[in-house]
Amino acid sequence: MKQQLFSTTLDNGLTILGETMPGVESAAVAFHVPAGSIHDPPGRCGLATLAGEMCLRGAGGRTSRGIVEALEGVGVQWGHAVSTTHTSFSGAMVARQLPAVLPVYADILRQPTLPAEEFEGAREMVLQNLAGIEDDPAHRTLAALRMMHLPNPWGRPTEGVTADVESMTIDDVCGFVAGRMRPAEMIVAIAGRIDWDDFVRQIDALFGDWQGSGATPVPAGLRGPHVGHVPHDSQQTHIALAWSLPPYRSDDSAIAGAVVSMLGGGASSRLFTEVRERRGLCYGVSAGYQTQRDFAAGICHAGTTAARAQETLDVILAELDRLPGSIEADELERVKARVTSGLVMQQESTGARVGSMARQWYHLGRIRSIDEELTRYDQLDVPTIEQWLATQPPRDLTVVSLGCDPLEVPGAIPA
Amino acid sequence: MPFLHERLPNGLDVVAETSEAAVSTSVGFFVMTGARDERPGIEGVSHFLEHMVFKGPPGLSAEEINRSFDRIGAAANAFTSEEDTVYHACVLPRYQADAVELLARMMRPELRADDFDLEKKVILEEIRMYDDQPPFGADDRCRAAYFGKHPLAASVLGTIESIEALDVEAMRDYYRRRYAPGTMVLVASGAVDFAALVESAHRLCSDWEPQPLTARGQPDQPRAAALPGVERIVRPAAALEYAVRLTPGPGENDSDRWAAGLLAVVLGDGSGSRLYWSLVDPGLAEQATLGHQDFLDAGLFVTQLSCEADEVDELLARISDTYTEAIRGGIPAAEFEQARNKVAGRVVLAGERPRRRLFDVGLEWAHFRRFRSVADTLQIVESLTLDDIHRVLAAWPLDAPSATVLAGPAEEAGSGSRASALPRGEA
Repeated sequence: MKQQLFSTTLDNGLTILGETMPGVESAAVAFHVPAGSIHDPPGRCGLATLAGEMCLRGAGGRTSRGIVEALEGVGVQWGHAVSTTHTSFSGAMVARQLPAVLPVYADILRQPTLPAEEFEGAREMVLQNLAGIEDDPAHRTLAALRMMHLPNPWGRPTEGVTADVESMTIDDVCGFVAGRMRPAEMIVAIAGRIDWDDFVRQIDALFGDWQGSGATPVPAGLRGPHVGHVPHDSQQTHIALAWSLPPYRSDDSAIAGAVVSMLGGGASSRLFTEVRERRGLCYGVSAGYQTQRDFAAGICHAGTTAARAQETLDVILAELDRLPGSIEADELERVKARVTSGLVMQQESTGARVGSMARQWYHLGRIRSIDEELTRYDQLDVPTIEQWLATQPPRDLTVVSLGCDPLEVPGAIPA
Repeated sequence: MPFLHERLPNGLDVVAETSEAAVSTSVGFFVMTGARDERPGIEGVSHFLEHMVFKGPPGLSAEEINRSFDRIGAAANAFTSEEDTVYHACVLPRYQADAVELLARMMRPELRADDFDLEKKVILEEIRMYDDQPPFGADDRCRAAYFGKHPLAASVLGTIESIEALDVEAMRDYYRRRYAPGTMVLVASGAVDFAALVESAHRLCSDWEPQPLTARGQPDQPRAAALPGVERIVRPAAALEYAVRLTPGPGENDSDRWAAGLLAVVLGDGSGSRLYWSLVDPGLAEQATLGHQDFLDAGLFVTQLSCEADEVDELLARISDTYTEAIRGGIPAAEFEQARNKVAGRVVLAGERPRRRLFDVGLEWAHFRRFRSVADTLQIVESLTLDDIHRVLAAWPLDAPSATVLAGPAEEAGSGSRASALPRGEA
């Protein structure tokens, strides 16, 4: 396939990425500002999330309601999200609506009015979300795992911490927006039925005169303990494990991704086969690869009745232990087939392409074509993977359980 | 996007919507059976059977099926609802025949006793998993309270007790009655080679024996009678209180279903709706939504609320007031048009995804034996008028007595609240 991929960087440091997809009527657009949870000041965990919410509550000449009406009134499916590293505003729409919609996003980013009378509502909304998360055992388990496994502040929850959010003021929000919302290192990505030159002209007109220097890098601090338990009154015990892997920008990341996929990526993966299909221990068990720019982790998750949780953990640990020296050509071929399908089918979703391009730019400083990404996996063979696993087997695991009782983690470094 | 249809001599329909822009092919078997077709004593069998279908026909194991799907890079899965059981796979076009063959062979499962015993553990884990999550069973309990003796009262998952008591012979009997060519459809969407699809169907499915058509689970009453009242599921450790409230709405067989969907967007969409501005935006509730759900012969308006336990009665009353205000005052044209544009945008965006189209095309055919294109749907949405919305508001009063179930830490209703003044239902 021949993709039509474009990129350009304005003088103020804002990068524009694009892909024209003539087969669709829609366009998806996303604005990523380097203002994530790692930029939350100490004692202000959740400030990026609250600040993003406040940006939507009045911008340019529009009120909170005016912003939503301007987007939804022309059928835009819009979103706001805060990740570890970025605040993002996004939208998917029928492509002809773009010229009317882009100025709304420019106002949200450049001209938020941060009205004081909206502050309590915005903060209460963030607190309501935090209370809802308290009732989500899988979310809580994985949040605890990230907090322990990743270096501070990378493991802190993007959604915030209740006590911190309760103590925030409108001044915190104004300070964060003034200091963090700026064009340097910002990424604007678009995919769909678009004219690239037109789009660049519009973005340049809306953002070209915006000034503001880049963010200072956030140093990676200490990580947490290796073993932890979260008491929770539930029928099931949730188990999550993590170990370190090379980040996406490393040459070895395709190997790491393939290994994680063999372990827990599909229905024929080792964990699904051993934990669910052969023993019936779980409904859901999986493993995934999660990357930041400088480090990455393999993460496994399972939920099972308390009485069978220890056996589930033991089986997962045995599968991790068994990886080096056991890779089979057939399972590698299955991983390649799954990766190929997934990458090719991105072509049917403007939103998926926007996400993929923006991630690649952040991690690599360029866009990888789908063909190039496919080649990285096609080149893999069993000896290469075994050679890598021999030097980098899963080790120094972080293990978290959530439920009534803690589990035995054999050979663990005590918490 | 051309639509193609062919019927095999044994009654199996093969339908496809093809798309030149697609780079994937989605295929699926849609079986017209679900929780409403379960007799007392086998609650949950449809969903359990859906799991068992992945255990394989004679000569093919579950692990071989899993490997076969992964070998062709298929995104394969299945779901069971009150009325449908759907098996689907999305592959690159060159694997169309492999995906159809695998799914077709799976439709004749052996239902081995040892697989049944093992999978029963997985089903029980799935039930416990959902029971640990919001809304902590309030949705199932509320549907049961609302539908009473109507077959739609059934829970898709069943209960721990019904699954533990189920035996493999009962499942085999259910399978024989419900998985017949006349009640199944082979559906495809995306980059489909229709001639090859029909050839596959002839080769793999023509020996499926037709069965006498058994009537689907029929209601004891022509329309479900709501049982007004409030029930509580007490979960002392929950952080929030979760409320589910059901009132009658138009069913799938009613042309007002589209206006009902639009009305739900105006009043209770996840953003930009009346409930959003009055409850979610000021941070009073974590969630406050109204949705419209339709079945073959019944429809529901579903109100969902999550908030602090001591606020729940007050906020439910505010939601009722919001509905009353809309019924009395009507919907302004601008508000209506914003919602209609929003729904039209969703139709266009969803229509671009062949994987998503599989379900729209398949369910429409399974339920009505007809095809509705994205353009047809868009035309329906764009032709809706304010009169349609007001007619639905009048015909299906949202503030009428409802079935309501609360789940969370609250043990008793707060004093003086209107919700608690309603008669309590059977717990």
